[in-house]
Amino acid sequence: MNTGWGGMNTGWSELSREEYLHPGHVACQGCGAALAMRLVLKATGDRVMVVLPAACWTIIDGSFPTHALRVPLLHTAFETAAAAATGLRAGLDAVGAPPTTVMAWAGDGGTFDIGFQAISSAAERDEDMIYVCYDNEAYMNTGIQRSSATPWGAWTATTPAARPQDRPKKDIVGILAAHRIPYAATTTVAHPDDLVRKVTRALGVRGFRFLHLLAPCPPGWKVDSSLVIKAARLAVASGVFPLYEVEDGVRLTLNMSAPTVPVAEYLSLQGRFAHLTEEQAAHIQSMVDARWVDLEDWHLRTHGGPPIGIPSALDGHGRPGDVVPHG
Amino acid sequence: MSGSGIPAVPHDLPEVPLSSTDTRANRTGSWRHVRPVIAEKAAPCHKACLLHAPIPQVMTALARGDIPAAGASLLNHNPFPAITARVCPHPCQVGCNRGRYDEPINIRAVERFLGDALLHRKGAPPDVSTGRRVAVVGSGPAGLAAAFYLRARGHDVTIYEREAEPGGMLRDAIPAYRLPAEILDAEIEGLRRMGVVFRCGVEIGSDMPLADLLAAHDVVFAATGAHGERGLGAPGEEHLTRGLEFLRGVRRGEITSASGTVAVVGGGNVAIDVARTLVRLGARAVVLYRRTRKEMPAIEEEVEHAIADGVTFEFLTLPVVAERVDGHLRLTLVTMQLGEPDRSGRRRPVPVPGSEHSFECDGAIAAIGEVAETKFLPKEVLDEQGWARADKATGATAEGWLYLGGDLITGPATVSEAIAWGRRAALAIDRRLRGEPPAAPERLLPTVSIKGINLDYFRRAPRTVQPALPVETRRLTFEEEIGGIDLVQAMEEAARCFVCGTCTVCANCWAFCPDAAIELGAEDAIPRVTLDYCKGCGICVVECPRGIIALVDEAKVEVRA
Repeated sequence: MNTGWGGMNTGWSELSREEYLHPGHVACQGCGAALAMRLVLKATGDRVMVVLPAACWTIIDGSFPTHALRVPLLHTAFETAAAAATGLRAGLDAVGAPPTTVMAWAGDGGTFDIGFQAISSAAERDEDMIYVCYDNEAYMNTGIQRSSATPWGAWTATTPAARPQDRPKKDIVGILAAHRIPYAATTTVAHPDDLVRKVTRALGVRGFRFLHLLAPCPPGWKVDSSLVIKAARLAVASGVFPLYEVEDGVRLTLNMSAPTVPVAEYLSLQGRFAHLTEEQAAHIQSMVDARWVDLEDWHLRTHGGPPIGIPSALDGHGRPGDVVPHG
Repeated sequence: MSGSGIPAVPHDLPEVPLSSTDTRANRTGSWRHVRPVIAEKAAPCHKACLLHAPIPQVMTALARGDIPAAGASLLNHNPFPAITARVCPHPCQVGCNRGRYDEPINIRAVERFLGDALLHRKGAPPDVSTGRRVAVVGSGPAGLAAAFYLRARGHDVTIYEREAEPGGMLRDAIPAYRLPAEILDAEIEGLRRMGVVFRCGVEIGSDMPLADLLAAHDVVFAATGAHGERGLGAPGEEHLTRGLEFLRGVRRGEITSASGTVAVVGGGNVAIDVARTLVRLGARAVVLYRRTRKEMPAIEEEVEHAIADGVTFEFLTLPVVAERVDGHLRLTLVTMQLGEPDRSGRRRPVPVPGSEHSFECDGAIAAIGEVAETKFLPKEVLDEQGWARADKATGATAEGWLYLGGDLITGPATVSEAIAWGRRAALAIDRRLRGEPPAAPERLLPTVSIKGINLDYFRRAPRTVQPALPVETRRLTFEEEIGGIDLVQAMEEAARCFVCGTCTVCANCWAFCPDAAIELGAEDAIPRVTLDYCKGCGICVVECPRGIIALVDEAKVEVRA
């Protein structure tokens, strides 16, 4: 925890001082995806192999013969993250390699759209891997084309302001949970304590584990690179991206109490929503509200009581880092 | 193999392309056009503090429960926090950035806790003795503060005090309900434990010439205050008691009651102290002030307390005649109006013609202003008007062996300002005695405003309030009216502090850097930017809760370097 009453803090003691992401990688300034990898690897340590389909990260890792990680990374084709990870796992098991976690690492395009058949199959077979979808909510690497992870009404190169898409973001965690996998959770780069806890928890489970990790993209979201963490923090504080985890596809725990920040505050930070009218923003708010009610219902069914995050953490849209104990 | 159409793999290449090096070869810092510069800044409280106490450092230590560290930080700038916590107007709290978020930190309450906690613990003799001798003339706040810092640096210090007991205005003017005698006694006891020698009942000038004092000491620091009282300067002024004389009489137990209506003339702290004391002695106090409340030099909070005590105020009113009539006192008052601003920037009161009216009362006390007595000083340190002159930064005078400070130089000011003079003079005298050149003046860093604070990291939390006697009780007693807080409350209040401008190594800059370009040093070291790889995204600038990191244009950095 790095909050503490009034800002006295522990200096992110839960984050390893060890770096597994080398500097010199070629992500853009303020890249949420680069930070996502850095933070996740701090939690996994070096007993991990990364499987990477086409994604921003293909570029970020550096051009041949350079490589940005201190752990192995296997580049593979766009639709094959989960399939290649399945094969890598089988291969490691066949040669009797020392305990190593296989981590598929794909963007939202490679997860929600192009790799969807492979991830569904691997989840259905409960393949032993951690699958991290770092979600920047569009095909950022190829020039900001819309994906099925793009939020309702957002500008992209293929959904210009004049022709926004009237479809909500795909509920990928709901879909994966419906495969009855042992663990699925959401987290963001602005919540390292939550992120570390969830990665650690995923490491302690066998089978298919899914992390949906929100990673803001300054050029794609049209947000200043300095405000990347602020944007991710507001996504959570406003309820646009709630923090929760689902065990065995049935038990849901919200890791925060009800959002207190208006969605408009999150939207106004980003140029990709600049064209929205007040009515459209209100529509997004109502979708967020409805989704919160659904999640809260599920949490109530699981726990018999409301989430007990600490509301004051959201004052001044602070961190919701106070996590509900679960299980 | 050639039959299958697949080319043979040469033995010196792997079957798949395999990286052979890592990205550290890319000096991505070259992409940058702005650079984060990590540099601590001043907190507004620190800047506003009359003693420039390191308040954020004190709060940081106390929030951990580390009283010795918090105390050491505080005592380095304020030798008597138990006193200042009771009598300082605390301008530090006005500027507190937290006041623009929820409520300002109750710095006074925390200072009071620390001051009281340290009161009987401090006062160890210095480890080394320099053998140099300093005489301090006057044992008010300036003299006591100078003695504290001089003795702590190993010099032999003797304080000469005209009155029978040390303390100056702290003992004879400030009423007990604001500063109980036990607190002052304990502070003086602490100085005695340090080895400071007090010689009371000796008036320099009349009992002993200043020259004799010099013969026995290397340096003399005179801080004799401003005890001379201005009279009304109007016919019948002899019917008015002087304010300091009255307060001294009360504190010494010579005056124990008052009755009827008593007029108090003036608008400074002495006038308010007199009026609130009169209420406690049983009289009805009416303050007559020639300007309005806005121009009153008294501490605002004290004015509010006086009103709550039942003191009434007649503004824009000046007595021009006082006469005894049938056993009581008749004042002739003139109504004033505010004219052009005078040299102090306050609008000058001018009489309204024909506004004379009479005011009947049972007594009157003049607290119009105090002046320094300078007769005992050599004429070399006086100006043409006979006022003492000394360097503001050091207290040094034209006579190299003589340093001056406090109200003697400034005229009536606050206890904290006097302590600041004493401290500055002590540091300058210490350098002189060590044969070192005068220190460069202390420079304050740029201040962090609320805009520099990332409020996302601070939960709203209510301010700790000090207990206080209810008004109906306190106006009947000289018991201390404001109480202290306990350790838990003090730690909670300290933990509310934003710690503006000081790095607490919260490590946000490090945790959120996408380029792993912030280096954490040893435990308390301020993190450093690895410029070879920093792309200048600015995340660390925004996520620093305390406004320490700034983005600076690369071009400007180069020019400066």
